[in-house]
Amino acid sequence: MKRRMFKPFMLALGALSLVVVSCKKDEVKPAEPTPPNESELITTMELHFTDSLRGNTFKVVFNDPDGDGGKAATQFDTIHLLKNSTYKVEVTLLDKSKTPADTISNEVLEEANDHLFFYSSNPTSLVNVKIEDKDSNGKNLGLKSTWKTSKDSNKGKVKVKLMHQPGVKDGTSATGDTDVEVDFQVNVN
Amino acid sequence: MKNTYIQLVVFFLFLSANSIGQVCTYSLSGIVSDIHNDAPISAIEIYIKELNKKVETDSLGRFQFSSLCPGKFTVVCSNRDGYKPIVKMFDVQDNVVYNFKIEVHLKELAEVKISTLSKPKDKLSTLHASLLFGDELEKNRGTTLGDIVKSIPGVSTLNTGNSVSKPVIHGMHSNRVLILNNGIRQEGQQWGSEHAPEIDPFIADKISVVKGANSIMYGSDAIAGVILIDTKTLPDSVKIGGEVNVVGNSNGRGGTVASFLEGKFKQVPAFSWRIQGTLKQNGTIAAPDYLLINTGLKEYNFSYELGWKKKNYGTELFYSQFNTTLGIFGASHIGNLSDLQRAFESKVPLESTSFTYAIYRPYQHVEHELFKAKYYVNTGKIGKLTFVYARQYNWRYEFDKHRPLNDALAAKNNPDLEFHLTTHTLDLNWSHVRKNGFKGTIGAQGMQQANTYRGRMLVPSFENGSIGIFAVENWLYKRWEIEAGLRYDVKQLSVYQSEKTMNNSSLLVKTSHPFEQASASIGANYTVDTTWKYMLNLGTAWRAPSVNELYSNGLHHGAAAVEYGNSALKVEQAYVATFTGLYTPNEDLHIEVSPYYNYIQGFIYRQPTPTPVLTIRGAFPGFNYTQTDAILRGVDVYTSYHFTHWLEWKVKGSMLRAWNQGANNWLILMPADRIETEFGFHWDHNQRLKHIYIGPSIQYVAKQHRVPEGSDFVDPPSAYWLTSLHIATHFRMGRNHAEIGLQITNLLNTRYRDYMDRFRYFTDAMGRNISLRLKYRF
Repeated sequence: MKRRMFKPFMLALGALSLVVVSCKKDEVKPAEPTPPNESELITTMELHFTDSLRGNTFKVVFNDPDGDGGKAATQFDTIHLLKNSTYKVEVTLLDKSKTPADTISNEVLEEANDHLFFYSSNPTSLVNVKIEDKDSNGKNLGLKSTWKTSKDSNKGKVKVKLMHQPGVKDGTSATGDTDVEVDFQVNVN
Repeated sequence: MKNTYIQLVVFFLFLSANSIGQVCTYSLSGIVSDIHNDAPISAIEIYIKELNKKVETDSLGRFQFSSLCPGKFTVVCSNRDGYKPIVKMFDVQDNVVYNFKIEVHLKELAEVKISTLSKPKDKLSTLHASLLFGDELEKNRGTTLGDIVKSIPGVSTLNTGNSVSKPVIHGMHSNRVLILNNGIRQEGQQWGSEHAPEIDPFIADKISVVKGANSIMYGSDAIAGVILIDTKTLPDSVKIGGEVNVVGNSNGRGGTVASFLEGKFKQVPAFSWRIQGTLKQNGTIAAPDYLLINTGLKEYNFSYELGWKKKNYGTELFYSQFNTTLGIFGASHIGNLSDLQRAFESKVPLESTSFTYAIYRPYQHVEHELFKAKYYVNTGKIGKLTFVYARQYNWRYEFDKHRPLNDALAAKNNPDLEFHLTTHTLDLNWSHVRKNGFKGTIGAQGMQQANTYRGRMLVPSFENGSIGIFAVENWLYKRWEIEAGLRYDVKQLSVYQSEKTMNNSSLLVKTSHPFEQASASIGANYTVDTTWKYMLNLGTAWRAPSVNELYSNGLHHGAAAVEYGNSALKVEQAYVATFTGLYTPNEDLHIEVSPYYNYIQGFIYRQPTPTPVLTIRGAFPGFNYTQTDAILRGVDVYTSYHFTHWLEWKVKGSMLRAWNQGANNWLILMPADRIETEFGFHWDHNQRLKHIYIGPSIQYVAKQHRVPEGSDFVDPPSAYWLTSLHIATHFRMGRNHAEIGLQITNLLNTRYRDYMDRFRYFTDAMGRNISLRLKYRF
């Protein structure tokens, strides 16, 4: 009887000593600086315009250095275009929270099959945007585009939207999630 | 009717208070309770043979004989349905307190309702406690803590899908509801609406919910109420025993295995122990028409408890660990407001899937560790001193839907949000036993907490400290029980934020928020007779604003909202009146009605910003944390009626009106009115199956139309009906006890969305689930 009781007792003690040592370390020290945030932010969108006829270039910027939320954007330019003109446009996305800034648009190009830039003009007559680059499946990518402005002076907005469409890219903006969406004010004169 | 035995365990033998020199003034009193779970048992007859005196236990299981002369008495504690009574001899030379522990008939266990009245230890007596144990607790085994407690009227849940479920009491949740895990305040990241309590429900042998201001004993911030999760008491007799639970669910094709082993050895009778563990996994959850992508879950938990008990002192060690990895429904993580709009407009979720057990991004990984050491010593014959230290460590990882585009970053696979929270608590209580009608407790509590984050900043790192002292006294006089308590707390929250200096280096700046205040409680119970009983409690409670309310500043990816804290927020002060009326004219009918009224000054809530917040991802609704005066009032009802011995009818209902005085409008995100009815069929006569219970039930949840106009993305969902079926049986396997239960929720596979489920924007709620559970006790 004594032996029968002793064995489970030792077993239980053995099991307990196993769990006792499994305490987690804690290194919680709020008064020390937080390690830098290694997650990715898209802080900045730059549109690089080249006037096809005259050849002059300029850039338009949306810049929100602390990312979503927090403080409001520090720079949000209006796009000034000449009427009845054609512009070549290239998009650059940056993470300026890192030093040096990380060019996110290069990563988008690497994963071209999962991404789509989508442009929409309101009113539609304001600017006609045509996507000039394709991914390896022959579907639109949209880092490069051509903007054709209206014949008359006009005002409105152009939405530039980057959709993340892993495995579901079908050439429309109706699938996936939005990574970037900026409504630029556009003045055509 | 064989097989039943009545066992007697002596807890406090002849704890006596003296009153010298007088004759025939002694009393003999005590409580009759269930040997397994300490639930008090009412209407048990106690009889003194020599005097031919009889009393019945009241709804709290109490009995009392007074004006006894010194002498030897034979006391008989009867039992129901012809079970063997307990006979006990007493030599009365003083006031005698004796608690009878009885083995309740299996039928009792099976029938268990939300207990009529019961008394968790260390609770204000003038607040009504709803208790879950026995079948009522067992039937939802394998689900979350939130899903278990929502069977109590007045308790609902705030959900982020199926696996994240937070208890809501009288419309309040998160920091306004305290959860006491084995006597220790649960300290996780409870401020977040998508952060579920980090507790394994299988450690609970009994769950009590005490609605109303519970500030005195547990902490000033228990505005809405407390949920007490109690483990089984360690074995009192020499044995080795245990329990194995196996639960299988059809929806999610998941299962849970939970087991414990406990014992006490003849060689060391003071020592008792228990080890316990739970493994849980489920795959993709299904709504009636489709599967919900990435809704798998994996969980493993374990705990151990050691006790050393001597006549006048004892010590207990408890350690538990909770580890979960849970997928967040993929279609709910959205890029911006226009994605959200697209999700509402779609009839089916925008992402589909096939069944899998794998968990992908977005997901959460949470670990919680609790270590508790308790020591108590009897201070002579008059009281007991208790000292409890606990350490909790909470570790939360949240992974966004997408990996970073940058390959080097993506390869690290870092969580996008990470919190580490360590909490130390210290409790010191002294309680004295009842003397001349009075009993009470005085105590002090200290808490020190530190939180750090990595990854995206949602709330800054902080330190939190508090010290509280309290005293509560209870006076039993004839049919009255009067109780009053006072508490004083001093708290300080210090946050550390990095700020850029002139030379572009960053500097850590500390900001402190001190708070101090008193809270009070006064209440009375009046037992008219065995039919009527009233309980009234008036209490205050206050809550210091939490770190997210003060400092949150960022985008909630899942919630598609930008939240702004307000560091100027002041204390939230609550004045709470809670009443319970109990009507039990006979064994067959039980009615309890509990109206309540909360007036909360400086109620903290999220108010939409006048214009949306513009980000590079597009526009998001913005919310500012702000304060208003609010009134939350309502009523909870519970009734049960036995038509015959085999047919029982139960009705539960709750109603809440939550008004924002400042905005002169309804408060957002409050549970809708609901009512539930269940018919219970009992079979007892079968020799092999001890008891069979079949209980179909129907729940109606109204549409919540009391919402501030235009403050939500979409209108609240329609009202819905849900049906469920519960079948359980208890039987013996050899010399041991076994149970089989079948619980079918959403029996008709109804399509519905609940207002308090954040996933209602994206998907219907879970469809039919058939859950089969087996329990074997040895």
